[in-house]
Amino acid sequence: MDIKTILLLIPLLPLIGSAIAGLLRHPIGRSGAHTVTILAVASSFGLSAWVAWQVFMTDWEVLNYTVYKWAVVDGIELEVGFLIDSLTALMMVVVTFVSFMVHVYTIGYMKDDPGYQRFFAYINLFTFAMLMLVMANNFLQLFFGWEAVGLVSYLLIGFWFKKESAVRANLKAFLVNRGGDFGLLLGVAAVLMYMGSLDYAEVFAAAPTVAGQTMTVFGGVEWSVMTFICICLFIGAMGKSAQVPLHVWLPDSMEGPTPISALIHAATMVTAGIFMVARLSPMYELSTTALSFILIIGAITALFMGLIGIVQNDIKRVVAYSTLSQLGYMTVALGASAYSVAIFHLMTHAFFKALLFLAAGSVIIAMHHKQDMREMGGLGRIMPITAVTAWVGSLALIGFPFFSGFFSKDIIIESVKQIDRTGASFAVFAVYAGVVVTALYTFRMLYLTFHGKPRADEEMLSHAHESPWVVTLPLVLLAIPSLLVGYFTVEPLLFGGALSDAIYIDPANDPVAAVGSHFHGPAAFALHGFVTPVFWLAMLGVGLSTWIYLFQPSVAENVKRRFHWLWTVLDRKYGFDEFYQNIVTGGGLKLAGFLSRRGDRMIIDGWIVHGSARLVGAVAARVRGVQTGFLYHYAFAMIIGLVALVFAFVLLKG
Amino acid sequence: MIVSELQLALPEIFIAAMACVVLIADLFVSDERRGLTHSLALLVLAFAGIITLRLMMPVGETVTAFSETFVRDRFGDILKLFAYLVLIGVFVYAKHFLRMAGLYKGEFYSLSLFALLGVMIMISASSLLTVYLGLELLALSSYALVALNRDSARGAEAAMKYFILGSLASGILLFGMSLIYGATGSLALSEIAGALGQAASGDALLAFGLVFLVVGIAFKLGAVPFHMWLPDVYHGAPVAVTLLIASLPKIGYLALAIRLLADGMGPMHEDWQAMLAVLAALSLVLGNVVAIAQSNIKRMLAYSTISHVGFILLGLLAASPAGYAAATFYTLVYALMSAGAFAMIILLSANGIEAENLDDFKGLNARSPWFALMMLMLMFSLAGIPVFVGFFAKWQVIAAAIDAGFTGLAILAVVTAVIGAFYYLRVVKLMYFDEPENTTPVTAPFDFQTVLSINGLAMLGLGLFSGGLISLCISAFS
Amino acid sequence: MPIIEIIFYLFGGVLTLSALSVITSRNPVYSVLFLVLCFFSAACIWLLLEAEFLAITLVLVYVGAVMVLFLFVVMMLDINLTKLKAGFARYLPVGILVALAMAAQLFILVWSRGLDSQVLVHAADEGSNTRLLGEVLFTEYLYPFEIAGFILLVAIVAAIMLTHRRRPQTKYQDPSQQVRIRREDRVRLVRVESEGEDS
Repeated sequence: MDIKTILLLIPLLPLIGSAIAGLLRHPIGRSGAHTVTILAVASSFGLSAWVAWQVFMTDWEVLNYTVYKWAVVDGIELEVGFLIDSLTALMMVVVTFVSFMVHVYTIGYMKDDPGYQRFFAYINLFTFAMLMLVMANNFLQLFFGWEAVGLVSYLLIGFWFKKESAVRANLKAFLVNRGGDFGLLLGVAAVLMYMGSLDYAEVFAAAPTVAGQTMTVFGGVEWSVMTFICICLFIGAMGKSAQVPLHVWLPDSMEGPTPISALIHAATMVTAGIFMVARLSPMYELSTTALSFILIIGAITALFMGLIGIVQNDIKRVVAYSTLSQLGYMTVALGASAYSVAIFHLMTHAFFKALLFLAAGSVIIAMHHKQDMREMGGLGRIMPITAVTAWVGSLALIGFPFFSGFFSKDIIIESVKQIDRTGASFAVFAVYAGVVVTALYTFRMLYLTFHGKPRADEEMLSHAHESPWVVTLPLVLLAIPSLLVGYFTVEPLLFGGALSDAIYIDPANDPVAAVGSHFHGPAAFALHGFVTPVFWLAMLGVGLSTWIYLFQPSVAENVKRRFHWLWTVLDRKYGFDEFYQNIVTGGGLKLAGFLSRRGDRMIIDGWIVHGSARLVGAVAARVRGVQTGFLYHYAFAMIIGLVALVFAFVLLKG
Repeated sequence: MIVSELQLALPEIFIAAMACVVLIADLFVSDERRGLTHSLALLVLAFAGIITLRLMMPVGETVTAFSETFVRDRFGDILKLFAYLVLIGVFVYAKHFLRMAGLYKGEFYSLSLFALLGVMIMISASSLLTVYLGLELLALSSYALVALNRDSARGAEAAMKYFILGSLASGILLFGMSLIYGATGSLALSEIAGALGQAASGDALLAFGLVFLVVGIAFKLGAVPFHMWLPDVYHGAPVAVTLLIASLPKIGYLALAIRLLADGMGPMHEDWQAMLAVLAALSLVLGNVVAIAQSNIKRMLAYSTISHVGFILLGLLAASPAGYAAATFYTLVYALMSAGAFAMIILLSANGIEAENLDDFKGLNARSPWFALMMLMLMFSLAGIPVFVGFFAKWQVIAAAIDAGFTGLAILAVVTAVIGAFYYLRVVKLMYFDEPENTTPVTAPFDFQTVLSINGLAMLGLGLFSGGLISLCISAFS
Repeated sequence: MPIIEIIFYLFGGVLTLSALSVITSRNPVYSVLFLVLCFFSAACIWLLLEAEFLAITLVLVYVGAVMVLFLFVVMMLDINLTKLKAGFARYLPVGILVALAMAAQLFILVWSRGLDSQVLVHAADEGSNTRLLGEVLFTEYLYPFEIAGFILLVAIVAAIMLTHRRRPQTKYQDPSQQVRIRREDRVRLVRVESEGEDS
C-alpha cells in the first residue's frame, strides 16, 4: 500500500466501523459492535503510529495534497485534502491512542446500557471527525471536522436523553458552541475575503502581505485585518476549548457517560482550539494584539477555573474544572508564542487527564454510579489499581518532577516568563498561583476518594470491588505515558525542532528557544525542578490539602464558614450561568417573544407564510379544475397554446 | 454503403434484432417460466451496454452515416448508456408489479425494447426524418403499453387520450418539419443549420415552422400548456408502465430537443430561447402549484414531472454547451429519481392493487425503516435539498440560465422549487410522523430490493460525488 | 397553362369542401365517404404534380383498404351522434374563433412570402417517378425506411396484444382436436347386465 492509501484509511476505518455498528444493529449484535469498532480504531491507531514513526524518525517531506475535489465555486476550490507534518502526526497518534483506550474501557463501563451499540457508533464517528479535523489542509475541512466533532459531542452529552439534566447540558453545549462557531465562521470568511483561498499553504503564503492592511468594522474603527481574523478564529477556539467566558458548557457536559468525558471533553475535542491556533501559528505570529488577547483569556481560565475546582463535590466536576484550568495553561502557552509547548502540554494532558477521568469512572462503577465524593473515602484499599493509577495521573497533573505533566507545565511557566507583551505579568502571576490551586484540588480529590474513613454505607461498601480488566487495562496503559512520555519526548519535540516544519515562531521573539538555552537534558531539568519555586508552590498546595482533608476535616468547615462570601462566589462559579441565564438568554427570550408575536406570528406566519400557502392552495384548486378529463378540452388547450405562440413569436416579430 | 456504417449503428441494430428475438422467443415460453424472457431482456440490455461502451466516441468527435440520417457522437453514447441503465431498473421494478397484477406478459418486454429503440433512433438522429420516425416508434410502443391492462377502463381511456393527443402533436411536429424543409430545402439537420445561417433573418416561414417544432417538443416533454395528457396518462396506466414512460422517454425527448433545436435550428436560437422561456415559466409555476393539491401520488408525481420539465427547459434555453450539459445532467438524474419514486409505489402495492394514494405512505417508517429512508432520499433529491444529487442538477441548470441572462426566470425557478419542496416533504412527513393505516410488513423480491436500495443511495452518492457525472455531461458538448 | 390551373382549382375546391363535409355531416357513413372523396381529390392533385406513384398508392391503400375498413367499423358500431355532438354548439363560437385565428395566421404567412409558381417544381424529368422513388428509398433513405418497417411491426404487435385474448368463458372450436378425435372419446360401451328372470 502506498502512503496515500494508508492516510486515507486512517480516518475512513472508524467511519466504516461507525456505519456498521450504527446501521446494522441487529445482525451484528452487541459483541459485534464493539469488535468492529475496536478493530477499526485499533488499526487506525496502528497506522497512525506507523505514520508518526515515518514522520519523526525518517527523512520526511511534508505531505500536502488534495484527496478529493468536491466542487469549484467561483474559482474557490472546495476540497478534501490532507496536510501531514509533525503536528498532524502527533495529533493523530494522541487521538487514536486515547480513543482506542476509551473504546476498550467502554466495554466495561457501558456493559449494561441499552444504548451500547449506539455509543460505539458515536465514539467511532467521533474518531473519524477528529481525524478529519487534524488532518485537514484547508479551512473548509477544518470547519467540517469542527462541526462534526461538535455534533458527536452534542449527541454524546445527551446520550442518556431520558435524563432531563443531560438534555439541558447538551443544549447548553450546543448553544455556547454556536457562539464560538460564529466567530470561527467569521474568521474563515475573512480569510477567504482577504487571502482569496481556503488552503492553509496558500493562506500562510499570503498572510504577510495582508498583515499591514486595515479594515473598518462597525462605527469607523480601524482594525488590523490580521488581528481581526486571528481574534475571530480564536473566539471559535474559545468555544471549543472552553475558555472564559465560553467555558460554561464543559462542566455540564459531565452529564454524558464518563468514557466520552475522557475522550471528548478532556483529551481530544476540547483541544481542537489549541490545535487550530498552533496550526495557524504563521498567522498568529503576525498579530501581537491577538496573542495578548489569547494570553489574558488563557490566564484567567487557568487560575479562576481551578479555584472553582476546590469547592466541587462531584468527582467528575473536579476533573472537569481541572481540565478547564489546564486548557487555560495551554492557551497561555499559545499567547506566549510557545505553540510547541502548548501542543506538548496538550499531549501529556491528553494522557493524564484521560487517565484521571477513566479512574474517576472506575470509582463511579464501584459506587454504582454515585459521583459525590462526600459519600466516598477509603476506596484505595478496595480498588488498588484504580487508586495507584489515579495517583500517577494526579502527580502528573500537579507537575511533580519526572512525571510527564511536570515537563510541559514547567516549560509553559518558563516560557511565559520570557516574553514581554501586554498581559504577560498577569499571566505569570496566574500560572504560578494556578500551581498551588491545582495541587490543592487534586489532592483534595485523591484524599476524599481513596483515603480517610469510608463514608459510604455498609451495603454499598460490601458491593464495591475493583473494576474488571477491560477497565483497569486502559488505566494502566494510560498511566505509562502519563509517567514517561514527557521525559522521553520533551527534548526532541521542544528543543530538537521536531515540530519546526509545522509551527512558525518569529525568531526575534522566541520564548521556547530562550528556555531551551538553559535546558541540559530531561534528567537535569527534572532534578533542577525540585528546587524551583514552582515545586514548592505545588508542595504548599499538597501540604494544605493533606492537613485539611486527611487530618483536620473541621478546618474545611471553618474556612467555609469564615469566608462564606468567597465560598458562595466559587460555588456559584462567579455567576456566569446566572449572567447567561438572566441577561443573555432572558433578554434574548424577551426580544424573541416580542419578535415572535409581532414579527413572526403576525407578519411572517399570518401574512407571508399562511397567506401565500392559502394563495397557492387556492390557485392549485382553481387550476386543478382545468384538468377536466375531457379529451377535446385538452386538444383545445394545445391548439390555443399553439395559436398564442404563433401570434407572439411570428406575427408580432415579423 | 460500407460495413463501417453498419458498425456505427451496431447498438441500434442489436437492439432491433434482439427485440424481435425476445418477441418470438416469448411465444415459446409458458406463463410460469416468463422469468426467461425477463432475463433475456436484461441480458440484451447488458450486452448493448457493452457494445456501446466498446464503441464509445471520443470527446468532440462526430460521425454521420446512412446519407446523413444517422449521427454518432459522445452525447448520444452517454444518453444511450443511461437509457439501458434506466430500462434495466424499470424491468426489475416492473416485474414485481406485473406478477402481482397478472399482467406479466412478454409483450411488455418486446414493446419496451422497441420503445428503447425509438429512443436510441431519436438520440442518433441527424435528419428530420429519423427524428420523426424514432419519435413515432417510441410513441406507438408507449400507447400500447399504457393499455397493457385491457380490463382497466381507466387504462384504456388513458391510452386513448394519449394516442389522440399524441397524434395531434405528431401532426403539429410534422407540419413544422415540412415547413422547415420547404424553407431550407433539406432534411439533414446540419444542412438546415447551414441554410439558416445564410437565410435572411426574420423569415416568417421559418419562424412559423419553428413554433410548430417547439410545440411538438413541448407536448412530448409535457410542458405547459401542452401537458394536459400527462397527469391522466400517468394516473391511468398501470404503475409499471407509468414507471417506464416517466423515465426512459425523457432521455429520448431531451435528445429530440437538443437535436432539433440546437443541432438543426441553432442559428435561430434567439427565437426559440424566448419560446422555451415562456414554456419553462408556465411549467415551473403550474407544475409545482397544482402538485400541492393532489392526493394521488401518481398524479402528484405527474405534476412534479411538469415542473422538472420546466427545469430541463431552463437548461436548454441557455443555448450554450454549459446549458445543454446542465439539461442533460438534469434529465439523467431526473430519470433515476422518477424511476425510484414510482418503484416505491410498486413496493407498497399489495396484491396488484396500486398504492397510489398519499395515505398509503403513512407510517412507512414503522413498517420498513430502510425503505422509508430510501423514499426520503428520493424525495429530498426531487425537492433539490443540498447534498442530494437533485440539488446539484437544479443548481447547474439555474447557473446556466443566469449565465445566459435569464435572471428573472432563474429567480422564478428558485421560488417555485421552494413551493415544490412542500409536497415532497409532505410525503416525508407522512412516512415519519403519521401512524400507519396498514401494518402489514413490506415485502419484495431480493432483486427489487437491491435495485431500489442502489437507486435510493445513488441520490446521496451521486450528490456527494456529483463531479464525475457533471464532467461526463460537459464532455458530451465539447 | 390555364387548363392545368383550372384542374388544380377544381380538385382543390372539391378537396376543401369534402374535408369540411367530413366534420359537418350528420351521418357518419357520409363522413367516411366524404373522406374517400378527399383522398381521391388529393390523389388527383398529386397526379397533376406528376407524382404518379404516390397518387396511385394513395388511392390503393387509403381508398381501397383503409377506408373500406373504416366503413365497416362505422356501420357495425351504433354511434349515437347526438350524444357525441352534445357540446358542439357550446364550443362552436370559440372553435370558430381559434380556427379563424389559425387561418388568418396561415394567410398572413403565405401573403408575406408571396405566391410564386416556382414553388411548384417539376419533379422527375428523367425516367419514371416510381423507379426514382424506389432508388432513393433503398439507398439514401435506407435507414428511415427500415425504421418505418419497425414502426409497422410495433403496430402489429400492439394491435394483436390489445385485441387477441382468450376469455375463459367463451366457447370456441379447436379443429385439430376435432380431427384427432377417436372413437373412444365419443362412444362409451357400457355392459348392461341382463335382467334376471327371477327378479
